[in-house]
Amino acid sequence: MPQNLISATATAVFIVGPLLAILINNLLPRTLAQKICLKVGIAATLLQIAAVCSCVWLFFANSSYHISFSVFWNMSAQPGAARFYVDFLSLTVMLAIGLVSLVSLLTANESIKDKALNFSNLLMICMIGMNGLVMVNDLFSLYIFLEITGIAAFVLIALLREERGLEGAFKYLAMSAIASVFLLASLALIFMETGDLHFANVAALLSSPAQASQPLLLMIASLFFITAFSIKAAMVPFHGWLPDAYQSAPAAVSVLLGGIVTKAAGVYAIIRVLSGAFSGVLAGVFSHVQNVHVVFAILGLVSILYGAIAAIGQRDMKRMLAYSSISQMGYIVLGAATGSVIGLVGAALHFFNHATFKGTLFVNAAALEKQTGSTDLEVLPCGLQARMPLTAISSMLAFFSTAGIPPLAGFWSKFLIILAVWQSGSPLMAGLALLASIITAAYFLRIQRKVFFGQPDDSSNEITEVKGSLALAEWLLSIITVGCGLLFPALLLLMQSKGLF
Amino acid sequence: MQTFFILLCLALMICSAAAVMMFRSLIKATVCLAITSVLISIVLFLLGAYWAALFELSVCAGLITVVFISTISFFSKERRSEEQERDHHSRFRLLPYLMVVCGLALLALLVLSGFSMQSIPALPPAFAEFKQILWSNRQVDILAQIALILAGSFAVIVLFKEINTNDENKGA
Repeated sequence: MPQNLISATATAVFIVGPLLAILINNLLPRTLAQKICLKVGIAATLLQIAAVCSCVWLFFANSSYHISFSVFWNMSAQPGAARFYVDFLSLTVMLAIGLVSLVSLLTANESIKDKALNFSNLLMICMIGMNGLVMVNDLFSLYIFLEITGIAAFVLIALLREERGLEGAFKYLAMSAIASVFLLASLALIFMETGDLHFANVAALLSSPAQASQPLLLMIASLFFITAFSIKAAMVPFHGWLPDAYQSAPAAVSVLLGGIVTKAAGVYAIIRVLSGAFSGVLAGVFSHVQNVHVVFAILGLVSILYGAIAAIGQRDMKRMLAYSSISQMGYIVLGAATGSVIGLVGAALHFFNHATFKGTLFVNAAALEKQTGSTDLEVLPCGLQARMPLTAISSMLAFFSTAGIPPLAGFWSKFLIILAVWQSGSPLMAGLALLASIITAAYFLRIQRKVFFGQPDDSSNEITEVKGSLALAEWLLSIITVGCGLLFPALLLLMQSKGLF
Repeated sequence: MQTFFILLCLALMICSAAAVMMFRSLIKATVCLAITSVLISIVLFLLGAYWAALFELSVCAGLITVVFISTISFFSKERRSEEQERDHHSRFRLLPYLMVVCGLALLALLVLSGFSMQSIPALPPAFAEFKQILWSNRQVDILAQIALILAGSFAVIVLFKEINTNDENKGA
């Protein structure tokens, strides 16, 4: 495999590509840039999706399932230096990043045309942040890319500068700052103990904490680390900022936040530090620390149950989806916390699935808001299935996938996660996770029954189906949800036959 | 003696950081922030992290202060009454006590864990050269810094630039 060529291309596409899009948008005359900025962004996201697919093909073609590389101006960086690292887990997440960013841009095309240039610039920065934190193998670089993602997301929420948006953005900023303080403190303590922040070196030390000169400091570092990423991932009880941020953000930003940002900035980091992932080359920082696994498993289960129960009582659709996201992110963390290969595969698949079905639901919320002017379930007219058939069908598919109904994509990932929890010797946890899945079906059926099913009332006479880029986004995500559901068994068998797990 | 200076600087740093929160005037808060950065630079210098001290001094104490003061001079037109100033001070009156309690708790924690300045590992010789650190070992962070600066710039544009334009329109 031409290692240098692939490394240069990967850096160019995943980091420099979005930077180039920002450059193009801002060098063009403002009127022209306003017209084409979303298209430039769409090109960058399509390029990312194509690059991920190419990497997967190259991995299978060469039977080499990970690649470590430096920035293109210095390929021969020293071993142990901060480098980029890509394996199947990172590729899965980067595919989700590309896909959700694409859908967010399509949604923005219909909803925030007058702020399109700022939106596109900030989205590209957010992409750089997420791509970076997915590819790094050094804790300090992880922190910097987390901050980039956080700053871009915070400004995106406040993009329209409405009172609600500013309030949501402030809550997000405040919680994010607290998480950053905990994370930095944790990194400082780890560095004091190990003199290094490279994943593998820290993991080697933590695998035998008894040999550490100051085990108490390591314990405090672990505690700070758990707190920081629990805030970023909005795990219960650190979830307070998430419903306000999702509800108050513009529709296109809600798609981005709900689809990928919270997961990439919080949940991905948890998966990465809990496990060596598929290849086993990139060691998980806390993969040998049993207590950290247990704490995350409990946080995951509490989030699953609390998110599902709290979602039932919500009357705003975006707020309900926010609580549903807390519940679904709990599943991902629970799967990763098992530490088993099945649990990790389930977590990675659920990560991707959640990006698609939650992306669909937020696009549906944007469509309803555009056509009816509200996302309040008490205000929305009944029987919209006849007026908005595409939105109704895509919404139903996404709901079923979220609830884990076979053969949709969500079923396979939830099945693997619950199986892994059962096999790890926790049948009670597995049972509770299954119960929450039934609750999920219940609150989603409430939306379907209230908004889409039933006889159309007079107030819905003027309402029509969305067209253009919103309809395209609904089609695209629905096809992926169904397609992945049908293809996952074959994909899992292929990965197993290649010895990936 | 060096440990005493480090602890003194850290104590002063905490005081100036608290003052950042307590001052209502943005200019005064910015000056306190710059003082905090200068004190961090001194601590870094005393601990032997010369390049980190240099960057902290030039970027955080210098550049960031200039950017803050420029931004404030562009946008800040607010004037507060003495009563509002008093209200503000009364809101933060517990902050110094809280910080002292937290500081003592951290100190107790460090003493209990057997912490000492000597336990901080020295940087390995291979990492000593700044050029090597920046271009070979931390090259990923250079890209990240570019993105971080862009994020900050767009944040200012989105959140402040148009507010200023609106204010000017209203004035006209």
